[in-house]
Amino acid sequence: MTTWKETLKDEMPAELAQEIDTFETQIGLKKQGKIDDKLFAETRLRRGAYGQRYDNGQRHDGVETRELHYPTAATKGPDTLWDAPGMMRIKIPFGGMNAEQMDVMADLAEEYSDAICHVTTRQDIQLHYIHIDDTPDLQRRLAAVGITTREACGNGVRNVTACPISGVCNDESFDVTPYSKAMAFFLLGHPDTQDFGRKFKVAFSGCKGKACGLTNIHDLGFIARKKMVDGEEKRGFEMYVGGGLGAVPYEAKPFDEFVPETEILPLAQAISRVFARLGEKRNRGRARIKFLIDKIGIDEFRRLVLAEREILPHDERWTGYLDDVRAWEETPVKEPAELTTGVSDAQFETWRATNIYRQKQKGYTTVTVALPLGDLTSWQMRQLADIARKYCGDNVRLTVEQNIVLRWVAEADLPAVYRELEHVGLAQPGAGTIFDVVSCPGTDTCKLGISSSRGLAGELHERLATRYQQFDSAIQGLRIKISGCFNSCGQHHLADLGFYGVSRKVGGRTVPHFRVVLGGQWENNGGSYGLTVGAVPSKRVPDFVDRITEKYLAEREGEQESFQAFIQRFGKRELKKVLDEFSAVPPYEMDPSYYSDWRDPREYSITDIGVGECAGEVVSRIDFDLQNAERLYFEAQLQHEEGNYQKADETAFQAMVVAAGGLVRLENQDVPDEADKVVPEFRKRFYDTGLFHDKYAGGKFAEYLFNRYEDTNREYTADKVRLLLEETQLFIEAAHACNTRLIEQASAERKAKLDKD
Amino acid sequence: MITDLHRIGIKFLTARGDDIPLTDFIPIFHAWIQEGKLEDVMIDVAEYSHVPAGPGTMLIAHEGNYAIDETGNRRGFVYYSKQEVSGDNLADRLAVVCRKNLAACKLLEAEDTFKDRLAFDFGRIEIFFNDRLNGPNSDETWQAFEPVLKSFMARLYPNTDFEARYETGDPRERFSVSVSLQDDAASAEDLLARL
Ligand code: SF4
Repeated sequence: MTTWKETLKDEMPAELAQEIDTFETQIGLKKQGKIDDKLFAETRLRRGAYGQRYDNGQRHDGVETRELHYPTAATKGPDTLWDAPGMMRIKIPFGGMNAEQMDVMADLAEEYSDAICHVTTRQDIQLHYIHIDDTPDLQRRLAAVGITTREACGNGVRNVTACPISGVCNDESFDVTPYSKAMAFFLLGHPDTQDFGRKFKVAFSGCKGKACGLTNIHDLGFIARKKMVDGEEKRGFEMYVGGGLGAVPYEAKPFDEFVPETEILPLAQAISRVFARLGEKRNRGRARIKFLIDKIGIDEFRRLVLAEREILPHDERWTGYLDDVRAWEETPVKEPAELTTGVSDAQFETWRATNIYRQKQKGYTTVTVALPLGDLTSWQMRQLADIARKYCGDNVRLTVEQNIVLRWVAEADLPAVYRELEHVGLAQPGAGTIFDVVSCPGTDTCKLGISSSRGLAGELHERLATRYQQFDSAIQGLRIKISGCFNSCGQHHLADLGFYGVSRKVGGRTVPHFRVVLGGQWENNGGSYGLTVGAVPSKRVPDFVDRITEKYLAEREGEQESFQAFIQRFGKRELKKVLDEFSAVPPYEMDPSYYSDWRDPREYSITDIGVGECAGEVVSRIDFDLQNAERLYFEAQLQHEEGNYQKADETAFQAMVVAAGGLVRLENQDVPDEADKVVPEFRKRFYDTGLFHDKYAGGKFAEYLFNRYEDTNREYTADKVRLLLEETQLFIEAAHACNTRLIEQASAERKAKLDKD
Repeated sequence: MITDLHRIGIKFLTARGDDIPLTDFIPIFHAWIQEGKLEDVMIDVAEYSHVPAGPGTMLIAHEGNYAIDETGNRRGFVYYSKQEVSGDNLADRLAVVCRKNLAACKLLEAEDTFKDRLAFDFGRIEIFFNDRLNGPNSDETWQAFEPVLKSFMARLYPNTDFEARYETGDPRERFSVSVSLQDDAASAEDLLARL
């Protein structure tokens, strides 16, 4: 039987191929019950395989909660059924894609998902309804075009985002693209980013005044700056830390007004270490770095980071990436050409007014392909890839507003590009306007969704698009963003009109509502957050949007008053009055439509809300190391079975080294998984101290490792290797036991200290 | 190898009902889930009326996806499998997929909401493979599939001539064959009886 693994073996980078094989083995081990649920959940999350609504096998169908009778009762995480479909999040660093990658994305959506590619607010692509067994092949096909899904979810560094027009922008200091790329790959899989209590988001912006990079809402944000140092212009970044949305939004705090480009990677590494060491691990609601900074203060945080920076072992990559930065360039496929003749097509002009941006490079423009709800079909994706090939080459970016930007389009080609986009249903005007509504997945697929953000977004999009031309320009330019719950994935805090899902009890029934957040600032990198006012029933939100926008138009103080300023001046009290006009819910008997959500006729219920996986499972690095050791041990067994004794011997030894390395790194995190480094450290820290000793067997299990390490004259016979396999298993067990003892000891010490205090 | 294919899809084009808003199918599919109307493990409804020529309104099941679909700007009812399908050979598996689709079409045509407004033309069929590894969009796949199609059609429409059209077109697109009958098409019920 042909397999993708075999077919693509020469096209995948070896490291990615190996990682995916490892994941496939982990899937196999999980099926055999050899990995526990929590650990496997975090493992798959770190490979981008996320849970989806109803994956606990329960669904409220509008009448009652019913069981979904999947073929097996196997699980892929706590309360998560193996057979339940999940979501695959595909990280696209800085949103940069090429045509070949777009083609593959289209194929994957068609074959494993539902033929829809969904662009997210973090420049990712998400595919829904994916079976976990399909994920290794899906990842291989991505790897073959240079995309990894590693660490797309879970408690790690999420997709590194950047302005989609960076490099062609008229306002930027310089192109942040190569920096964001370097940061993404430096932090990807870095040992210092593996032990976070929560996710960590990084963004780059080319300037301070515009919105694009949204550094203010990030755990770590970089704004490009130039500075004269000794008469020479130097590149660097204004660096911010501790921003974040979620239930409790925090604005990022300035860390340093100028970090030279040579320092951004080591500082990010130092921050990662401090976060891993001091960040909250138990209470996930307070585990983001913003809470740590809030607790200890920015000055103390800065001090800790700089102290950590001082002791970091040197890494060539900190500055090595600068060669790539200098070499970075994008190649247009067409010569620059301005559009000099008029185009007598009103629709083209409407589109041109909102979806085109003139690049700083004369004769070129960017084209924003506005995607309703961030969705496009597989067919559209392929056609768009062709349009890109023809007009702009591989210069395509996803945006945090869930659109796609084609860069380096010759201005003279715009009429032709418009026609081709129109032909494939992608010439929707109004990018970044009131009907280009942004929405998170909400109750459609998210386990935490409370109200149907996509249902509401679809409804608003449809209604507002038809009336767009009649709106005053002040209204046309407003932004609407919707989240299905307070977690803010729809970035509602930054919108002129933001909404997030909540529920209310009325007459003993539950009614979907949206809480209203008004006057957020998109500009200035998401400069300030909106004012939270009351909640309106889901079904009244469109009417509320009409009312508040009409009021703004009628009562603003001159044309200069922005919506944001109007909301500030208008104040909560007045806003409440407007809100109250819409807040009443008629009894069910009078109007049952209030009791179901947009585009979901089931009687509304919140019983489907599950435990979110956004937070991932808090699994420490040692757990992964021990799991890795188990996997290697398993592979060694297979190699032994296949008669490949030398390989089995080496793999088994590596399994012991990895397990020992995991323990060593509890005390010294800089030790790599190399036998020559691990074994002496292990001897010193765990054997000589007796920490590894078993109550009955003493240091016997550790000696298995030492004996194999010192045996330079190995014989690779079936029996000898079988013996080593048995020793390896005992050694890994002893490592687990040692880890458990250390955890219990630490907890007993904590308790004793608390008692004493 | 097409013998390894399991990700198979069948679409029956509409005879009428292209003007029914896609959103009108949402409550129907939810009701089917409530009432357990289909044999698959039905999970949820996904709605894509906002994308043109897209998968329309879908009923997502564990075994595969059902949809009132507008791919290619041709409305029809589609079912495609996403899991292993029972059957010793491809023709048998095709029959399983077809049976599931017909069962859904029959239900849909009988829905009061769509009375006299919706009908499928079971003589206009599209068969596709959602598997570029085992069934790429190529002449070789067509050559291998043609006899399978004949044996499947002999079961679905015995002694009836049909025309099968395969065009590679864009090789990136999934492999797809259009089948049309020379004679009048049968009803879903009759076809189900033959499978
Ligand atoms: S905001 Fe809430 S509903 Fe929306 S994706 Fe995030 S967690 Fe899910």
